[in-house]
Amino acid sequence: MKETEISPALAARRRFLSKLGRAVTYAGAVVGAGALGTAQKTAAKSESGASGGSFPTKDYDWTKHRWGYGVDATKCIGCLRCVDACKRENDVPGTAHHFRTWVERYVYLEGEDRPRIDSHHDPVNIEASGSQREYRFANRYKDAKVDKAFFVPKLCNHCTHPACVQVCPTGATYRTKDGVVLIDHKYCIGCAYCVQACPYGARFFNYEKQVSDKCTWCYHRITRGLQPACVEVCPVGARIFGDLDDKQSPISQFVRNNRVRVLKPETGNAPNVYYVGLDKDVI
Amino acid sequence: MPKHIVRLITLIVVFGALAAVAKWYFTVDSFYEFGHYRAASVPEIAGLEPVFMTPGYCQACHTERHAQWSANSHKSVICEVCHGAAQGHPQNGKLPIPKDTAKLCSLCHESMPGRPRTQPQIAVAQHSGGQQCIVCHNAHAPKLAGVVAPVAGDAVAGGKKHAAACASCHGEKGISPNDSWPNLAGQSAIYLARILAAYKSGDQKDVVMTPIAQPLSSVDVQNLAAFYGSLSCAAPPSQMRVGDAAAGKAVAANCTACHGETGVGSNPAWPMLAGQKPAYLVNVLKAFRAGLRKDPMMASVTRGLSDTDIANLAAYYAGQSCKEKPQGRKAP
Repeated sequence: MKETEISPALAARRRFLSKLGRAVTYAGAVVGAGALGTAQKTAAKSESGASGGSFPTKDYDWTKHRWGYGVDATKCIGCLRCVDACKRENDVPGTAHHFRTWVERYVYLEGEDRPRIDSHHDPVNIEASGSQREYRFANRYKDAKVDKAFFVPKLCNHCTHPACVQVCPTGATYRTKDGVVLIDHKYCIGCAYCVQACPYGARFFNYEKQVSDKCTWCYHRITRGLQPACVEVCPVGARIFGDLDDKQSPISQFVRNNRVRVLKPETGNAPNVYYVGLDKDVI
Repeated sequence: MPKHIVRLITLIVVFGALAAVAKWYFTVDSFYEFGHYRAASVPEIAGLEPVFMTPGYCQACHTERHAQWSANSHKSVICEVCHGAAQGHPQNGKLPIPKDTAKLCSLCHESMPGRPRTQPQIAVAQHSGGQQCIVCHNAHAPKLAGVVAPVAGDAVAGGKKHAAACASCHGEKGISPNDSWPNLAGQSAIYLARILAAYKSGDQKDVVMTPIAQPLSSVDVQNLAAFYGSLSCAAPPSQMRVGDAAAGKAVAANCTACHGETGVGSNPAWPMLAGQKPAYLVNVLKAFRAGLRKDPMMASVTRGLSDTDIANLAAYYAGQSCKEKPQGRKAP
């Protein structure tokens, strides 16, 4: 077959294929160089990891801590200062429906089998506070015949096997070496799979930043030696925080000196928020 | 191998290679450093600035307030719970002093099902009658002085001590002969015991009272208080005219939460004012205002009073009858 006999279509295909051939050659070279570069980079990374430099900040080494959180529900008075402080500390959207920590009220009325449960975002409670930016429990059961009532503070459980981390498609949420589950807001694409996956309802979609959001145990405070804001402001000591590896820390003593339990242990998430004073209906 | 198969394999290899390059190019350096996430995000989150600064930060400037607060029962409620987060203070201005304390304090102290018994709780409407909490309570030291110390003295022994040491100024029956010295008869014994003890310890000073009170024993203080508390407060009305009683009544609206509408309060920790000597009331109010007599509660309520207000108040209380004892007042 002579070249002159080749149809224009075939000639175009041949030109394309010859270009492709050259492209493959160059791409191969680039891949080779890239592989070499990656190998060098990996070596450099393992060096930086092995050098033992303090991470994530120069004064704080995350391999030396294992954080844990305690809640003594028998002490909680439902003042909601924790909710208020958390909002200010972490720049959480100023509505009653977005929050990183919250307090539930369980009220058993005489003659009723199931508790009545409300939190600060219940319309009656918003009305009592007068604003979505202020938080207060309305005294709505003042004149009712109450058999039993109590408050239960809740927050992210920073699970050892977090379902939310497992479902994240982009690697935007992860568990740190010191036991805190964090969200990388730069990598989060806002798909909210994690919001669905959390069995505790601890995550929410931050409409201002268009990302998933949740409690960090105030990672910026605890890495500086401070307490999380909610623990700092609690007037009755219902919230306890500390290092589980330090036997004298408040949380170690709390777990040792009380019979504690966690929420929904059957989900297999292995939560790290330990409760005292839960009731059968609290989940 | 047929040509078209070779081309297909070539294409797959090319695609794989491009994908590998793209992944290598677009994945940031720190991504797999510790796991399937960007390690650089950890220092980013750890580097956020704390907003709540903790009481130690406040103490640096507000030393006195901090000392008072940390020595009292509100020490578990940190400064920033009531005054707001301190980040940017003082550079960016003052932090708020809560005005509506009835709303603020009731967040914790409103009686409510679910609150543990150990938490001090009140039915707000009955407790204060709509008054602001700081009218009676100092938020930094909220417990009212004297409430917890009932007087257990011997009135007869107190009477003997009175005759020997006090009767020359305060009158044989506790009714003072002049307008500058207070009547003591019928006064709240708990209040008297607290004030006498303050003179004795030097917490409260007076050129005349200090040397008289210092040698008294604690038993003497209790006996005297019991003695005065047992006397009748009936006294001839003072002839002195210091101000306008009607105008004083308007000012006295701010005092009713503790001292009652007519100067007869419901709490024995606070003094009865009805029928008291007007010149004495003027002197005491001015002493509170000037800080010579120290009481955080009285200092704050007298701060805004003019000399005319004080004179009018004195005239109002001096003209009231001391006999209307409200219900619930315990006989000392």
